[in-house]
Amino acid sequence: MSDKWTPRIVVFQCQYCLYSEADQKWMDTQLPPHIKLIQVPCTGRISPLFVLNAIQGGTDGILISGCQPEKCHYKEGNLGARRQLDAFRRFLTYLGLEEGRIRFAWIDVSERGRIQQELAGLEKTIQAMGPITRLATRAIPVGEKR
Amino acid sequence: MNHQPETFADQVRAIPGGEHLELCYSCGTCVSKCMIQQKVEPEYNPRRLLHKVMIDLDQEAFADKTTWLCSACDLCYPACPQQIHISKVIGAIKQLAVEAGLTTYLQTAVVNELTCVACGLCVEVCPYEAITLVETSVMFRGKAVTVARVDPNRCMACGLCAASCRSASIGLVDKFSNEAVVAELWDWIRSPVVEVTA
Amino acid sequence: MVDAARHPKVDIRTYTEVERVDGYVGNFKVLLREKSRYVRADRCNGCGECARVCPIEVPNYFDMNLAPRKAAYVPMSQAVPLVYNIDLDACIHCYKCVEACGKLEAIDFSMKDKLVWEDVGAIIVATGFSHFDPSVMPEYGYGRYPNVITAIEMERLNNTAGPTAGNVIRPSDGTNPRRLAIINCVGSRDKHFNPWCSNFCCMYGIKNAVLLKQTYPDMDITIYYMDIRTPSKGYEEFYDRAREMGIRFIQGRPSMITEDPETRNLFVHSEDVTLGRVIEREYDMVMLNQAAVPQPDVDTTSSVLNVTQSPGGWFMEYHPKLRPIDSPNDGVFLAGACQGVKDIPASVAQGSAAASRAGRILHSDQWEIEPIVAVVWEDRCVSAQGKKCGICAKACPYGAIEYEQGKAAHVVTAKCHGCGGCVAECPHNAITQMHFTDAQILAQLHALLAERPEEKILAFRCHWCSYGGADLAGVSHFEYSSNERGLRVMCSARMDADFIYEAFRLGAGAVLYSGCHPQDCNYITGQRLGAARAERLMKAFEKMEMTPGRFRVEWISAAEGDKYARVINEMQAVLNSIPKEKLMEEIERLRPEMEKRARRLREVPQVEEALEYSRQLEIAMVGEEA
Repeated sequence: MSDKWTPRIVVFQCQYCLYSEADQKWMDTQLPPHIKLIQVPCTGRISPLFVLNAIQGGTDGILISGCQPEKCHYKEGNLGARRQLDAFRRFLTYLGLEEGRIRFAWIDVSERGRIQQELAGLEKTIQAMGPITRLATRAIPVGEKR
Repeated sequence: MNHQPETFADQVRAIPGGEHLELCYSCGTCVSKCMIQQKVEPEYNPRRLLHKVMIDLDQEAFADKTTWLCSACDLCYPACPQQIHISKVIGAIKQLAVEAGLTTYLQTAVVNELTCVACGLCVEVCPYEAITLVETSVMFRGKAVTVARVDPNRCMACGLCAASCRSASIGLVDKFSNEAVVAELWDWIRSPVVEVTA
Repeated sequence: MVDAARHPKVDIRTYTEVERVDGYVGNFKVLLREKSRYVRADRCNGCGECARVCPIEVPNYFDMNLAPRKAAYVPMSQAVPLVYNIDLDACIHCYKCVEACGKLEAIDFSMKDKLVWEDVGAIIVATGFSHFDPSVMPEYGYGRYPNVITAIEMERLNNTAGPTAGNVIRPSDGTNPRRLAIINCVGSRDKHFNPWCSNFCCMYGIKNAVLLKQTYPDMDITIYYMDIRTPSKGYEEFYDRAREMGIRFIQGRPSMITEDPETRNLFVHSEDVTLGRVIEREYDMVMLNQAAVPQPDVDTTSSVLNVTQSPGGWFMEYHPKLRPIDSPNDGVFLAGACQGVKDIPASVAQGSAAASRAGRILHSDQWEIEPIVAVVWEDRCVSAQGKKCGICAKACPYGAIEYEQGKAAHVVTAKCHGCGGCVAECPHNAITQMHFTDAQILAQLHALLAERPEEKILAFRCHWCSYGGADLAGVSHFEYSSNERGLRVMCSARMDADFIYEAFRLGAGAVLYSGCHPQDCNYITGQRLGAARAERLMKAFEKMEMTPGRFRVEWISAAEGDKYARVINEMQAVLNSIPKEKLMEEIERLRPEMEKRARRLREVPQVEEALEYSRQLEIAMVGEEA
């Protein structure tokens, strides 16, 4: 694996889960360009469509970061997300996507610095796997006509 | 014994859940426990809202964004040293506001009635029971067409329905709509910073 | 402490537990367990050679486990008496200390706990308080974040005789903190843990801040508070001084502390109530002013001394305003924080007061008690006839009744406070209470219900609470029905079921059974006895299909005059709602049953004479009027 290759990562973040101001500031301003932050109201908002778009567009890894169970801002939004996205991840695995490219991080409000650890962990996994090859077949959004 | 006219605070106390109102001694734990003020709306402040009710500022309480923004996640309830169920008190204030004819200023979920097939999935997933299936006046093959409908005073715009809808008929508007998020994603994918390898 | 130890008339017993207390005021017998130190106090001269050679180190609880001590130890150098102690849980029996002790031969591993009976005249309980453990509040991270410490740990760190010789350092890296946050009300004023205000934390938080500021002028100190309470003399001025010194005060209860995993710095999240905005500030160290809580073994102490607890586990005083030093048990006094959270001046004041109260007992040959004590008719007691009973002994809140099968029950007069619980409970009418005999109460009852009883509301009031409540209702001019007739007894425990049956047999319209709230009872558990009986009565009347509301049970304190008036008015409303013919019909229907149940009362000695006397009196009075 060449050292020059940097994986491209999308982070879906629920807008409530990162408690500390320092972490949020880091996410907002100091994120390296190969990582894209997309904020959603709740992890429950993350449609499989978004994940599919990211994968097919050639993203190497996806981190989904939400609140801990029982601590969801929308009562049970993160539970719905876990149910739906975990099933979708298993389906993608069945289609040939390596396990580990989609990572969930349920971060408690007091876990300062955990998001950086999770990102570093995901990056390491993907470095070991190499660039995405399966399913990354599109150059335009899913649903849009060529 | 009390012949005073009923005050706004009395009205809130009379609603189940609102009775613990006067226990609040303004310590501010609820405010710092809640993430809305830090993340979304700087004006959000349940402590101040409760105080407004206690001194009978009904119009100010109705106009306060806190009334409409509390999503009843109950993170503050276990933290409150006086064990006030704050979300229920705010719910009582909201109920009075709705009875007074006000409605939420939030951008709530929107249903596209032309494509909705009334499968009821959104009704199942909605944490706030804001969605119901209703019959419209439109007739199709001799039957009234059923669609999902959102109660704007219950919907907190979490987007759970939008993520689960199989026909993309229900969704949020503006920033968190399907189109906006997908466009944002593809803007980045196509951006020159990152080369597309596929 | 040293002065006390040297005083010829003061005998300090340390490392000793009270196992049992018998007897009564002026004549207590106390069983003490003198625990074995494995060092003989008469030989040890406190040189400390044993500790020097001891190879075992364990955390020292006196230093909040911040510093080690040996298995042979004294907790602190100022200990009185200065006698070493061997912690047998930690000792490995190397016997190096025995060698080091040499000719003194003070160390004796064969020592056993000694049980000693002592005669004492009075007992003062001064067991103090304990500290709330903040590790049960995960949001503050105590125990998880090394730099979050409690106020007592800070006290040891900042003490020149402490583990760091007065150098305040961060436990994580040993550096001096530059920014310190002090959080008040940790575990107090919090309904999840302790609802009370711990009284002195505001002041010792400020004291610690001032002391630290004097030692480290550059230290940035912030105090988070909900309300600053400075009620005593000079306190508010001290608070002002702290502000002038540059100590920052933020009103707002922190909701959470987070930690930077690398620097181990802490971030305190709170609302600044003045700003109305959430703020997150970084600190090197956080000190938690934890709540004061009762000692963990408070239940054992209260059962040994027969002293009750008020809500929360503090020892109960005889009267919250007028007798705050006496316990309900005569000859046992309370001093200091074991009775309720208090600061040093108040504890000293209460301690001195308790000593002089105890002195009154020690200096007198006689002790006056209330004359309303219980007396046993020995010929009526079934225990004397060899039967198994002992109901009176179980009912007594003071343990004043000695019961042995085959002998008549015996009331220890000095212990009896006159609640009358045993009198009402005795199924054979073998006990009577002086000045509140069955005959006297019955005569009152007959007089109160002599005319038109169906219109009357007969209210049984306990002397300390509901009688006071009725009194307050009158003094405050709260209007209530004039059909109410009050009958005073000392405690709801005295309200015999037979009296209630007799009242209904005479045709009373309604009967109120009222007393103290459970936690306010002047006779420790007298109210509970009364409440259990009231419940049985309520069930019996339900079975008889009496109109609900004619018999009512209410607990009314002396401060609740409005409640007393309200209850009586509600009972009057119930009576008004029943048509007269229907009421009379119900009274007649229930009379035989009531007669059957109240029949036993007729067997009580002197009852017939008392009733005859009151009848004669009535005839005489009516005759005069006519």
